[in-house]
Amino acid sequence: MARFAAIVLTAVAIGAGAWYVLTPADSGAPVRARLRALSDMVNRSTVDGRGAEGRSAQLSAFLSEDVDVDLGHGAAPIRGRHTVIGMAERLQPRIAAFRLQFEDMSVVMGPSGDTADVHLTAEFIRRSITTGEESLDAREFMIGMRRVGAEWQIAKVTAVDTLK
Amino acid sequence: MRVLVLAAISFTTFKWVLIPIRTEGSSMLPTYTPDRMHFVNRLAYGAGGPVRGDVVAIKMAGPRVLYVKRIVGLPGESVAIAGGLVQINGVPLSEPYVRHRGPWDVDEVTLGPREYFVIGDNRGMSVGEHDFGRVEMGRILGKVVF
Repeated sequence: MARFAAIVLTAVAIGAGAWYVLTPADSGAPVRARLRALSDMVNRSTVDGRGAEGRSAQLSAFLSEDVDVDLGHGAAPIRGRHTVIGMAERLQPRIAAFRLQFEDMSVVMGPSGDTADVHLTAEFIRRSITTGEESLDAREFMIGMRRVGAEWQIAKVTAVDTLK
Repeated sequence: MRVLVLAAISFTTFKWVLIPIRTEGSSMLPTYTPDRMHFVNRLAYGAGGPVRGDVVAIKMAGPRVLYVKRIVGLPGESVAIAGGLVQINGVPLSEPYVRHRGPWDVDEVTLGPREYFVIGDNRGMSVGEHDFGRVEMGRILGKVVF
């Protein structure tokens, strides 16, 4: 029994080592890191006391000039960085009440390496001011990213209906 | 050595077979209350698809965030909701697990060959706040077993 277990464990260890060595480097890592930086920024802005202007400048850096946001459910698409920033500013009191978290991010790099398609689930965690209880809402998105200079920017956001 | 074997078996089981989940939200009340641990059996549908009444976990972009819903409609069936009652091919469905019903009305949809109709047990919610509808078999991660 002990010999069998040792053989199994050795095989598992060899397999894990081979997988680690043979798996190509994750070219989508900078894209994931950029989106994590966005959620960190949104979550930090709920507590750092920065004014709306400072937050807008921070958010601008994550969006392409011609960003296109389609939230589905019959809502009109939102086009352009200025429009998105304007809406975010108007929604700021509501945005400040939740935390944003990205889960299950899968990245497919474009052939040029300057574009990427990201499939993810966004979690919106709201905390009740009165009870302190947290409630969670989640939505699936496809996000088109584009590299502009050294930075990745969001060029397209499309909500995906998990249940149709 | 026994500890290592036990750890390996536990890791395999809870990573690929019996996935622990924590429920959030109220859409499956009263069957599943928020903040409780449950398990999803990923091997439940290896031989056949879900059956009506199964509670299943549905993937969003991946397996970390899941919907937990009940199967009410099977592939090829027509599903509608009239006055809060689910109708399958025009016949009202008996749902003893539903305690409260709002006056929901949903137009009839016909499911595709690999589509299921899923819905939460809490029909007392406003229809606009409740996520339900058609889902492809490929999105169903497994059956919520306990």
